[in-house]
Amino acid sequence: MVRAALQPRGRLNRGPRKGVTVIPAISVVLMSCLAMLPVVTNRGGWPEFGFLMLVAWRLLRADAWPAWWAAPLGFVNDLLTGAPIGLSVALWTFVMLLMDLVDRRTQWRDYWIEWAVAAGLIILAETAEWKVAAWGGAPVPFKEMLPSIVVSVLAFPLFAHIASSLDRWRLGR
Amino acid sequence: MAAPAGPRPGWSRRAQYSLFFGFLAAVIGLLVGIFMLVLSLVAPQTYSAVRGAALDVASPITGPLAEVGATAKGLVSGAGNYWDAANQNAKLKKERAELRRTAVRAAGVFQENKQLKAALGLREQSSAAIATGRIVGSSFESPRRFAIISVGRGDGVQVGMPVRTADGLVGRIIDAGHIASRVLLVSDRANTVPARILRTGAPVIATGRGDGTVDIRPLEVGRNPFRRGDIIVTSGTGGLYPPLVPIARVIRLDDDGARGMPLADPTQSSFAIVEKPFEPAALAAATEAEER
Repeated sequence: MVRAALQPRGRLNRGPRKGVTVIPAISVVLMSCLAMLPVVTNRGGWPEFGFLMLVAWRLLRADAWPAWWAAPLGFVNDLLTGAPIGLSVALWTFVMLLMDLVDRRTQWRDYWIEWAVAAGLIILAETAEWKVAAWGGAPVPFKEMLPSIVVSVLAFPLFAHIASSLDRWRLGR
Repeated sequence: MAAPAGPRPGWSRRAQYSLFFGFLAAVIGLLVGIFMLVLSLVAPQTYSAVRGAALDVASPITGPLAEVGATAKGLVSGAGNYWDAANQNAKLKKERAELRRTAVRAAGVFQENKQLKAALGLREQSSAAIATGRIVGSSFESPRRFAIISVGRGDGVQVGMPVRTADGLVGRIIDAGHIASRVLLVSDRANTVPARILRTGAPVIATGRGDGTVDIRPLEVGRNPFRRGDIIVTSGTGGLYPPLVPIARVIRLDDDGARGMPLADPTQSSFAIVEKPFEPAALAAATEAEER
């Protein structure tokens, strides 16, 4: 930080990038696209990249996108990941509404609280996915979901870092 | 740090309204999402076109990436084969000699079987391959076990067709795009395969567990009929899967059943063969069941 401040950098002509309002949404879609990686595995346990990116953006900024954008973003995620269509649509929009409530209720935020909130949302999402899989005819025991939850919670700081770096970049700071 | 302020409308009536309508839109989005979810649970065929299209859009990206991955993996394992090559060679030679004897015996049995069948007047069902594709992806983010293969309706693939490799059964098609399709793997919880033990012929049921293994239960109550190392093959009951396709090898015994490891490991075998359903009527039944 100090070293960066010592660099002589022009303060003029710096501003938001082009398409500043859609960059967060694009980053979420790109993260959803990671589901197309040619990883062939017999067990799950990978984090849901799109969801983590969405949560990271929402925790960073309440106005990264209008809340209803979560619905089309979730639709894209459903199509790319092969989840039952509507799961991410409903879940992601619910998370946006829930976060509005959380924003009203929390007076103070630090890294630990953000991480805890993200962990809560991840557990909510994985539980919903588990329940929907059970309704869809695949009643997996819940302990099969635990590795995925742990990995997602541990991966969250990385996504928070990506979101904050992208945010600084898109705003030209 | 204080909590982020969030969108504060301030005094602007326009900003207040846009925030409120944004909230309304989000609530509508939530309701639409729940509706779509219910629809995709009770009538999965509703979305078959859009899901197929999504597979097609994704496949030009997934396919080449899979090629790169396979090449890299091949280089690593290829280098590994040179390690201890002499010993390996001797062992393989011994194995080959043994296999040749087994093959001769099997050919004899095959001939005899053919004659007996001809004597009984049984109609020989030929399992015709519809298409052969690469396994290019899987559902690594979800509790379900799907794989994506690089053939689709354009190659004659239809929903409900069984998929296998040379080693054994992989699963069946559940979404078919034009150039790619999604396979419900044998290890998925929702995939139940009527099967039998190759050694004794006892009828069993193989159900996926979602963690890469399958649960095998005998149909008849009694003492546990399994032994470690038993090979489980399809029985052909139900008409969807052709009979005598290997499914799994028993790795552990439970109280009243066993745990099996699928023989056709999609992570190892890169090619998969889509076949006709054993009895065409089963395809119609499967499609009907999906629609219900």
